[in-house]
Amino acid sequence: MATRVESIAPRPHRLGGASTAWIALLGILVFWGLAAWIYQLTQGLIATGMRDVVSWGLYIFTFAFFVGLSAGGLIVASGAEVFGVRSLMPLSRLGVMTAAACVLVAAMTIIPDLGNPQRVWELFRYPNWSSPLVWDVLIIIVYFLFAVTDLAVMTRRGTEPSLRARRLRTLAYIGLPAAVLLHSITAWIFGLQISRPWWNTALMAPLFVTSAILSGTALVTLVALAAQRFDRFELQPETRNALCGLMAAAVAVDLFLVGSDYITILWGNVPRDRAALDIVLPGGSWQWLFWLEWVIGGIVPFVLFVVPRFRARPLLVAVASLLVMVGVYAFRIELVVGGMLRPLLHFAPGNAIGSYRLGAASFQFDGIYHPTWVEYAIVTGLVAFLALLITVGYRRLRMLAAEVL
Amino acid sequence: MAATETPKKWGMVVDQNRCIGCWTCALGCKEVNNEPLGFFWNRILTTAPGDTTGETSNTLSAPASDNIDVPSGTFPDVSMAYLPVACQHCEDAPCVKVCPVGATFRRDDGVVLVDYERCIGCRYCIAACPYGIRVFNWGDAQQPVDFTIGYGKDYRTSDDRLVFTPDRPRGVVEKCTLCVELIDTGEEPFCVQVCPVGARIFGDLNDPESEVSRLVEQGGATELLPDLGTDPRVAYVPVERKEGSV
Repeated sequence: MATRVESIAPRPHRLGGASTAWIALLGILVFWGLAAWIYQLTQGLIATGMRDVVSWGLYIFTFAFFVGLSAGGLIVASGAEVFGVRSLMPLSRLGVMTAAACVLVAAMTIIPDLGNPQRVWELFRYPNWSSPLVWDVLIIIVYFLFAVTDLAVMTRRGTEPSLRARRLRTLAYIGLPAAVLLHSITAWIFGLQISRPWWNTALMAPLFVTSAILSGTALVTLVALAAQRFDRFELQPETRNALCGLMAAAVAVDLFLVGSDYITILWGNVPRDRAALDIVLPGGSWQWLFWLEWVIGGIVPFVLFVVPRFRARPLLVAVASLLVMVGVYAFRIELVVGGMLRPLLHFAPGNAIGSYRLGAASFQFDGIYHPTWVEYAIVTGLVAFLALLITVGYRRLRMLAAEVL
Repeated sequence: MAATETPKKWGMVVDQNRCIGCWTCALGCKEVNNEPLGFFWNRILTTAPGDTTGETSNTLSAPASDNIDVPSGTFPDVSMAYLPVACQHCEDAPCVKVCPVGATFRRDDGVVLVDYERCIGCRYCIAACPYGIRVFNWGDAQQPVDFTIGYGKDYRTSDDRLVFTPDRPRGVVEKCTLCVELIDTGEEPFCVQVCPVGARIFGDLNDPESEVSRLVEQGGATELLPDLGTDPRVAYVPVERKEGSV
């Protein structure tokens, strides 16, 4: 407990005009996103770049990404309790707070993707239990409630420290499996589909769990480094090293799993699997995803995390954390687009006008996907809302820390 | 409802030996269902003969050929067949399994339908369908003429679910209904009625005497992408190649 107290101990406020400007900027972006969503409601989903071949786009990439981000915080916090990783304990509160914020915004991201958002209540009225989506909604709610409870226990006034520690440990034993389940179920939305060979791999759940640990830890690291830079939050070198070690291991396992998938497809050389892989491999039309995932979001941050000279510099750690998040986002795009671009029956005139372009042969259509400004605006608004929640949450935690401890 | 009085198991067989690739069924379907511009519930792929088997469906170019009306192979050893594809009304339908609100459902007689008043527009079914037959109303439906053509009115199942409406609501998924409004009154689906060469055969798979049962049992009819185990209610009689022909 002592270490946790130390890190968010009350210090004089240094947040002034800059902080207000930051919050105002985020507020403007949130309203911009909201305005874009209202525009989309008046037009329908035709305002997006999604069409029948690539029928899921930016909203789904971002949803899967936000779900992943929510992992880190809770895994850092619960892992610290369950496995007794002392160096991570100072970040428990920050971690759980970001987890709650991320999972809330992830749930919100689904709404603009729906063709009939006013019917979303039907998920509770007529749930079809064979659908992974229903289970995902359920686990998102459970996870959010859990994170809020955890946070309440952490910050509740007048609890005896030993009692609080015991309660937190008990909660951590629930939190860790809940986090694993959340990412697995989200992975199974894709992984269980026989219609998309690219998705239909048993590696999907382990991949989602690993990339969630990776991107979520990166978010907590970034928030902690920002708090250290702009406030008087202290990120001890040993804590930073522990985070770097965790992320280096996660990025290695993540690339190992993705690589296993690649080698299975390349060796098997089954055309319908190759069709998806070739899109993202060097030479394919979406090859930038490969470079983002393997080099910019893979090897580069890995080196920054493992070389002691680099990870001693907070700025480089922040850059590396940002890069792994870019890499994980690239994986989300690769997953959705790779799975949808080449349908099993690939001549598909049963698709709405404008959804295809001419392919290599006459009357062969490939899917296309270019997000529109509406999608970018809504996703930017959601990211801004997440940043706003974390900023406000951080200040609130800080105040609570001053009162409780 | 007539269909529920005696247990039916509706099925369709497409005889590829008869299909001439004229698209009449696709256009008939578009008319009777007032399908908006750019929408096709039913389409005709060009394929090599026998490309509905699991073996060849593992190749990228099969079952659809890269080109429409273009034979596969190298001259003079070329061959070609047509493969009309609409909803396969699968027994183990991936779309029914993934729909979070049960808007896509399977009736007791095997017809897979979409409830326009229930669909939340998440498009999970589009992601799940291996045959790519579902279309989504991204915006307001556009029609070439300003009046309704085809069946022309709403149709509800016996449990009051709206499974056809000529004016499509925005943000819902639609697909082949096996002309549920026609088969419930004892008629055949419109694609079967309009086929000029009798390549489409519709009937009750529970009746061993029906032509569809006979074709499935003895006629060597095969399924589309059978390796996926979706167990379609639509079967195809593959082209029989005569000895000495190319």
